[in-house]
Amino acid sequence: MSCNCVVIVREVWDTRDLIGSILDEAGHIKPGALQTRFEPEDLNALEVALRIKDQQGGKITAIAVGAPRGVEVLRECLYRGADAAVQVDADASVLDDRALSVLLAAAVKKTDAPDLVLTGTSVVDGENAMLGAMLAAELAWDHVAWVDAVEAVAGGQAVVKRAIEMGYETVQTPLPSVISIGVALLEDDPRSPRPAKAMLKLKMKKTPIPVLTPAELGVADPAALVTTRVTRRESVPPRVIESRQVDPEDVAALKTMLNEVLKGK
Amino acid sequence: MAKIAVFAEIEDGAIHDICLQCMSKARALAGLDGRVVALAAGRGVSETAAKLFGYGADEVYAADHAALAGYISRPFRTLTAGWLVEQAPAAALFPATTLGLDLAASVAGVLSSAGVLYADDVRLAGDDRTARRIEFDRKVVTDYAAADGRMLIIALRDGAADAASFDAGRTGAVKAVSVAPDFVGAAKVLKRDVAKKTINLKGARVIVAGGAGVGSLENFSWIRDLASALGAEIGATRAVVDAGWLPADHQIGQTGATVKPDLYIACGISGAVQHRVGMQDSGKIIAINTDPNAPIFKIAHYRIVGDLKAVIPKLIQLLKS
Repeated sequence: MSCNCVVIVREVWDTRDLIGSILDEAGHIKPGALQTRFEPEDLNALEVALRIKDQQGGKITAIAVGAPRGVEVLRECLYRGADAAVQVDADASVLDDRALSVLLAAAVKKTDAPDLVLTGTSVVDGENAMLGAMLAAELAWDHVAWVDAVEAVAGGQAVVKRAIEMGYETVQTPLPSVISIGVALLEDDPRSPRPAKAMLKLKMKKTPIPVLTPAELGVADPAALVTTRVTRRESVPPRVIESRQVDPEDVAALKTMLNEVLKGK
Repeated sequence: MAKIAVFAEIEDGAIHDICLQCMSKARALAGLDGRVVALAAGRGVSETAAKLFGYGADEVYAADHAALAGYISRPFRTLTAGWLVEQAPAAALFPATTLGLDLAASVAGVLSSAGVLYADDVRLAGDDRTARRIEFDRKVVTDYAAADGRMLIIALRDGAADAASFDAGRTGAVKAVSVAPDFVGAAKVLKRDVAKKTINLKGARVIVAGGAGVGSLENFSWIRDLASALGAEIGATRAVVDAGWLPADHQIGQTGATVKPDLYIACGISGAVQHRVGMQDSGKIIAINTDPNAPIFKIAHYRIVGDLKAVIPKLIQLLKS
């Protein structure tokens, strides 16, 4: 049985290796203060879709909101093996997950009969984990979050492995469902996502990416869907920690360190 | 006078400890004249739910049904959203567990409410009705408010409030929330594989933790030896648990425990954010790693660039002398 997948992908701020304040005086993120990257769990979601396609065939459609950031990740999806990409034309930076979920649910409905919608469970920059859950609520579909692997898709059901505190659950969910993928496939993992293929880059470089406008998705004003407002945003003063390098060959230094940390014990 | 709702996650007859933090936060937000209402859902949860009175609830509701034995988003979100519409609280608090985060986001979707996950604080005083989250790798603090007077749906981060204390004098009758027989759909939990909790990481003063950089199950004996020399508990990253070197009750980080020991020794741990969120508030952090650029060194008080197989024996020898 072939399985058609929609993968929702996002480009997010890269919050690794942040130095100094990233906000301007008005509390907005300074232009150029942060690099962006393909949301790592969304990349895992794409990889899960590609593995399903490898095993049983089907079509993968990647959907993202916004330009130009959204278009770059969509192009990357095509280079890694997605069959089609769709861009929703709205400014994702002024929308919250609730507004995005309404737009994306409408976009998913315009895609030919997807069996699974896959996305990342949490986004690393804002530490949020709402999009998949809200998308499923909007579609009135089932949802499974924190999924490490889709083990089988057959007989109108998907069987997935979900991470929970202190272990795992195997969950069966009917098609179509929204599956939010967790962290288990990250970079340092041997099961990490496949890279872009040079051959696909050549082939897909000029592939047009169709655009859906909010009006085409039945939304007059996406900003009116926003349910959460930022009232205040400030930099956290950098945590000043006294940090020093200890030479592992220097026994006296190691001894001093142990004495300091075990003082009073 | 505020009304605050709490979703109480109950597993194996115990209320999740982040829910006890939600209870104390809810009580503080509701004030003396406000009301705290709590909902538990699952199979056989009613008896345990009655304890929520002792933890500060004014009203307790339980959806107790065999079909709710395992957590499935769709029936839980329908049930919880319906209950919240009836209760109409100013805010609803969920624990930031894998279950609570998914349920809070799902319910916010159903109700078109404002959702804030991993909240570090909540304020409902006068015009300041916001949930606060420290985000962007703890560089930015942001306050979120609900647009147009919507309900605030919040998943409270572990450690955001003290756990509520138990008052045996507070009791009451749990009200049943009816669950229609055809209510539950086709999704179900087929299998559950959860480690028994054998150690108390949260209470540990000293933790020695190992990551993928430890390299093998055999090498983990170094971690055990150092922990035993220090009288410490043993922690691990998700990678270690996935590799089968340690059971899951040793896991620290996003899907594991959040700990604040006086001393945390990170061995062969690169310091991915999923791990750091569980240990970055430790009193003193010693990091041992062969990679001088490992992110763990950014939060370590003592940075040892070297092979743990060479460093740990020296530490053990010093501890014994």
